[in-house]
Amino acid sequence: MKKVLIVDDEEDMVWSLKRNLRNETLYIDIFTARSGEEALEILKKMSIDLVVTDIKMQGMSGLDLLLNIRQIRPQTGVIVMTAYPTPAFRKEALFRGCLHFIEKPFDIKQLRELVRHAITEDKGFKGTVTGIELTDIIQINCISKTTAALRVRTMNKEGVLYFKDGRIVNAIYENLEGEDAFYEILGFEGGTLESVKGAETPTVTIGKGYESLLMEGLRRLDEANRDRAETGDAAGMPAAGKTTDGKEKEDSLSDIGEIEEKNNGENSLKEENMFDVKQILKEFTTIDGVTAACIVGRDGFVIDSMAPAGVDTDMMAAIASTGLGSSEAMGKQLSKGNLNVSMIEYEGGSIFLSPVGQDAFLAIIAEEKANLGMIRFSTRKYRDKLSLATVI
Amino acid sequence: MQNGKILDIAHISFLDMIKVMIDTIGTAGARGTLIRNAIKAAECIETVEYASVEEFINAIEDGTNPISRIEGKAVHIGENVFGLPSCPFAPSIKNYTDMFSKLPDGYAELTEDSNKPNSIADKLRVAHGACVSPFCSVHQPMRSSFAEKIKIGGKQATIYMLGCKSGSGKKAIADKWIADTGISKDTVEKVLDSNMCCYYLKMQ
Repeated sequence: MKKVLIVDDEEDMVWSLKRNLRNETLYIDIFTARSGEEALEILKKMSIDLVVTDIKMQGMSGLDLLLNIRQIRPQTGVIVMTAYPTPAFRKEALFRGCLHFIEKPFDIKQLRELVRHAITEDKGFKGTVTGIELTDIIQINCISKTTAALRVRTMNKEGVLYFKDGRIVNAIYENLEGEDAFYEILGFEGGTLESVKGAETPTVTIGKGYESLLMEGLRRLDEANRDRAETGDAAGMPAAGKTTDGKEKEDSLSDIGEIEEKNNGENSLKEENMFDVKQILKEFTTIDGVTAACIVGRDGFVIDSMAPAGVDTDMMAAIASTGLGSSEAMGKQLSKGNLNVSMIEYEGGSIFLSPVGQDAFLAIIAEEKANLGMIRFSTRKYRDKLSLATVI
Repeated sequence: MQNGKILDIAHISFLDMIKVMIDTIGTAGARGTLIRNAIKAAECIETVEYASVEEFINAIEDGTNPISRIEGKAVHIGENVFGLPSCPFAPSIKNYTDMFSKLPDGYAELTEDSNKPNSIADKLRVAHGACVSPFCSVHQPMRSSFAEKIKIGGKQATIYMLGCKSGSGKKAIADKWIADTGISKDTVEKVLDSNMCCYYLKMQ
């Protein structure tokens, strides 16, 4: 039987909840505590599935209790209730890992549903971010219509993203909330993830679709990376492709999976990379609306392609190379720096051209209603690997 | 400039067009366009068959072979190695420099780009260090592509670019193709002493 701990310094409230929360449809063991300190003692002795706590209490506040729960029982869900629902309280509670937020006075049925939801839902997961990007997790949550809180931690940063039925509805990072917080969190490097399924935010601060958010976020990251590559950064970050002592990095593979046996000779690496190129192009063609994906030398000759019969890839590549060259020349002429992506939109669809390394570029042909965000995201995701694979 | 001399506007326009391509689509794009142009030209000629290598050589040396029709008569040095005494672009270069004193900006970058390893150079067995000017980007692929329309004794003719010499006398050698053909570097150097271009014929 699931264990629920009710924490409130108001005796009547504790008594009422203990008496009414459990009914014939909600079988739970209920424990009670009259303070945060008492609740902590219980939590140290036993595993509790869900804590329902007030915020304002004598001694340890509900928010401090939340912090302690995160440390000693990170998988324990928390519902915070308060009669003083200030935005600051809400934000702090959400940030500290609150599963749900409920304002007093509330209907007991409402709380009962929240409790049922919290203890019966899959609790999500917790893990280290390796081999997969945060953007992948975000997209998975959005595509699968998830309602959850995603806590992202690095050595010195922590942020929370909230999903509601697959939409990104809130993000909190330090003093930021909304889109700005989202973009900051997207820039975290490495770290751990904790997903709490079912967690809802009452504060909706983001209205944009996830594709637009990711596109804008990735654009900002590209800009930041370019600035860093050009200048190194003040905190001693090395330029792209360099170690802190200025040497070339031995491994510049992207994080979609290490290529094994890297030292087995140039040929085996190249063969494996060519296989990867085919696989990556195939992945592009699985994106909604993408009809063809090609890797083309900057001179306009096809290196590899995935295209349906009837598409003259040789001619397309030749024309695309002049398109890419023109876009780069335009950027150079206007002092706009290196080209990231050139997108040409027609009535019947779009063409994406994006340089991969010094010698080649990626050309994606898409239909009118293609998932442009996913194309852009995948382009960024695979750029490094394609770049490595297309070195002639 | 010589008084009253009429310059060939086609030559001058072609050289300037290369410069325009470099500026508007970049060096690699310009190189690709020149190579495609060469390949397209070869697609337009008829297939020619020679009964023997001797017959092919005779046609090269008397200027009736499709290759010598575009670049001028070549000399057979021996062991299927050929030397081309005159660069077919020399008149264009002279025309241009008579008028403007120097070749357009960007040519050095395009030449450097042409010598980098690339898949189309591998396919046509050109470049790889043997380019001395952007004209080599047209000339070498065109010769190789024309060769694909030639059969000798029923076998497909293929050309390997071995070396080239600039107007100033600087030699450029394609080490990769020298290694692949087994022709010695010394031989190529000697051919270039008295020729502007050196290539090797192989029957598949």
